[in-house]
Amino acid sequence: MTLAIASLKPEDKPVVLASAFVLVILLVGTVYTLATQGTAPLLSPQYLVQQLQTGSFLGIAAAGMMVVILLGHIDLSIPWTMTAAAMMATTVGGDMAIPVGIAVGVAVGLFNGIGVAYLRIPSMIFTLGVDSVMRGLMVAHTGGFAPQDAATPLMRFFAAERVLGVPVAIFVWLAVSVVIAVMLRRTAFGRAVYATGNREAAAYLSGIRTRLVILGAFVVCGICAALAGVLLAGYSAKAYQGMGTPFLLPAIAAVVIGGTRILGGQGRYVGTLIGVVLIVLLNSVLSIMQMPEAGRQVIYGSVIIGMLLVYGRGARVTS
Amino acid sequence: MTALTIQLSGVSKHFAGIRALEGVDFACHSGSIHAILGENGAGKSTLIKIMSGVLQPDSGTMAINGAPVRFASPTEAAAAGIVCIFQELSLIPDLSVADNISLATPPRRFGLIDRRAQRRRAEELLARIKCEDVDPNATVRELSLSRRQMVEIAKALGKEPRVLILDEATSALTSRDVETVYHLLVELKEQNVASLFISHRMQEVKRLCDTLSVFRNGQHVETFARGARSDGEIVRLMVGREVDAQFPPKPERPRRPAHLSIRDLSWENRLNGVSLDIGKGEIVGLGGLDGQGQKELLLALFGVLRGLRGSVTLAGRPGAPASPAQAKTGAMRIALVPEDRKTEGLMLPMSIADNLLVGCYDRVSNGPFIDQARARQAVAEGIAKLGIKVGRPEDAVATLSGGNQQKVVIAKWLMTDPQVILLNDPTRGIDVGTKQELYRLMRELADEGKAILFYSTDYAELIGCCDRVAVMYGGAVIAELEGEAISEEAIVAASLNVDTRTAAHDAPVGAVAAAAVGA
Repeated sequence: MTLAIASLKPEDKPVVLASAFVLVILLVGTVYTLATQGTAPLLSPQYLVQQLQTGSFLGIAAAGMMVVILLGHIDLSIPWTMTAAAMMATTVGGDMAIPVGIAVGVAVGLFNGIGVAYLRIPSMIFTLGVDSVMRGLMVAHTGGFAPQDAATPLMRFFAAERVLGVPVAIFVWLAVSVVIAVMLRRTAFGRAVYATGNREAAAYLSGIRTRLVILGAFVVCGICAALAGVLLAGYSAKAYQGMGTPFLLPAIAAVVIGGTRILGGQGRYVGTLIGVVLIVLLNSVLSIMQMPEAGRQVIYGSVIIGMLLVYGRGARVTS
Repeated sequence: MTALTIQLSGVSKHFAGIRALEGVDFACHSGSIHAILGENGAGKSTLIKIMSGVLQPDSGTMAINGAPVRFASPTEAAAAGIVCIFQELSLIPDLSVADNISLATPPRRFGLIDRRAQRRRAEELLARIKCEDVDPNATVRELSLSRRQMVEIAKALGKEPRVLILDEATSALTSRDVETVYHLLVELKEQNVASLFISHRMQEVKRLCDTLSVFRNGQHVETFARGARSDGEIVRLMVGREVDAQFPPKPERPRRPAHLSIRDLSWENRLNGVSLDIGKGEIVGLGGLDGQGQKELLLALFGVLRGLRGSVTLAGRPGAPASPAQAKTGAMRIALVPEDRKTEGLMLPMSIADNLLVGCYDRVSNGPFIDQARARQAVAEGIAKLGIKVGRPEDAVATLSGGNQQKVVIAKWLMTDPQVILLNDPTRGIDVGTKQELYRLMRELADEGKAILFYSTDYAELIGCCDRVAVMYGGAVIAELEGEAISEEAIVAASLNVDTRTAAHDAPVGAVAAAAVGA
């Protein structure tokens, strides 16, 4: 077993380990429920599907975040991009609700991309500032109260309805996943993202338009965050202040647990998928165990740190 | 100060099988200004790095006044009085001048840094080198390059050296500062300090130094007093590197019309009016000592540098590319094999296939999507064309040997079908067999009608490979050699900006320094 893991390619090792840990979480949770309640709700398909439905918002946000992290950058404006997209969508309403929400994401992504790629401001600072600006704009827009506009029926359909017994949100997550995975593996843009994230100087000297690549990645991230925000509004039937805030750190954690190097250049999309599932299941098992909030936070954080310690830094390739 | 002699006996140093120094016996004495001369790779830098504790010799000993010493770090060497001013500046840009000067041993009061004493110390040292205009509280970032170099010298003086080593320390200075340094060295000589002076400028060496040592091929050739040898004899002592590779024959053909034409190209103070023509099917070598603007010229032609002055004409159209992305496409078709393959040429953790394709996705894609079959075929062709020895194309490029990595960089560029190929020292650190393959490949590419500009620090390569050699000095092409005229002696003489054919005259040093620095 140890040997098998050691011989894996560096980007595959975390995927295998994270998958194994997902099984461990399911096992521990089931043993607990069997011992205390005599049932195993964690293993019922219905329960799992419902968990995935709530996980789909995180999954879509994490998909965009991964593209930015692959470049060695980060997008901290996700929370208020989600919220702003949701609020603008519900404000506009009607058929234009979803396009307007997505357009908010494109605009924020473009703004982030210009700041990071062209003005060369470190992404951590720039996107944090953008997040704050968006927050201010939204408070001004709503007067600080929860907006009264309801989500459109289409938003509700995508987020809360079911088709063939499966929540539509999962299909949306699946579609986003396919698009991102194909983009990363099979398009020139995707390969350029990896090249730029690995060694920006070499990518630039190979004739890659690295600034456009960075700009594009932030736009992708903005679109994903906006989509997640619009769906979340559909799920909750309306937009509300701070709705995106609980998604930022889990999105980053999911990407990193999935084996994407935080410094960029390495990572597989399937890892991010598993990372999202891991975080969602961990949360739900902890709540089944009726763990008090304080304990949950400690365990949650410890698991993320522990996973990264297990991955290790690997053999660094320097020569 | 008491008299002092440093003696090196049988010192050798190897880097990954390549010898940098071999059995060197060398001595320098207090009260002397001692010049070290040699070509690129002759071992000068290794020698001073060993003396100043940056490197440890593989074998051999060093002794001060007969007592053996061994320095594990530059700090230990400095404690023994050996201080080196390196070519690459060692100042921290965001700290103040005073902080930088006293960085290693700041004056303390109650355990804390005594800023007032530190400032006084900086003022005294700066006054000694006539840099009273430098504010000790200014950050180094605010200073000009010349002033930074002077601060570097003040910092070295602050360590009270008994042996001061200057590695090309005057190359960044303005002529006024150069004069100041000359006076300082003479002053130090009177105070019985030993100065080791590495310079590529023969005139300043002849004016300043009383003893000259020539290195070649990692060996100490000869030490003699100033005036004992003529310029011509010195150049002959410096040349004669072993030619360890075979070169393909050069075809006899008339000079081609210019495909790439450069006129008066200037950039900041690194390029000072470069003019050069390169025809299709020609290999033009760029020679000269390291750091005379060759790298900047290649980067400028590839669209990396901003703020160029002068003109570039490519295939009849004026204008240099604005970016590498523009350089590789359309009518320009320029490729650059960069200086450092590990950081500029390759994405080391990525696969060989990814690295090969990174420049030519547009050629293997339908719309935004990469055509897997065409991509695989292109990778296979690239590997076959250069005979890259790979296990699988999916393996990380880091698993390859240096020579095969360099082949990947070249193969990557050949996939874009370039018309102009710029090579920045492509054979550095690769084995002889691969070198020969690259020489043959260059000639083949030239025969296919590509224009090749080839910078090399190895003169033997320039002589063996190139139809013409342009020697650069101080950011300009100082000599163009063609045919039989390409000889090591001619290249070295041009690199040093000395004329060996006529009797050497001592030019006024100020004028020479001004020509080299301010030109």
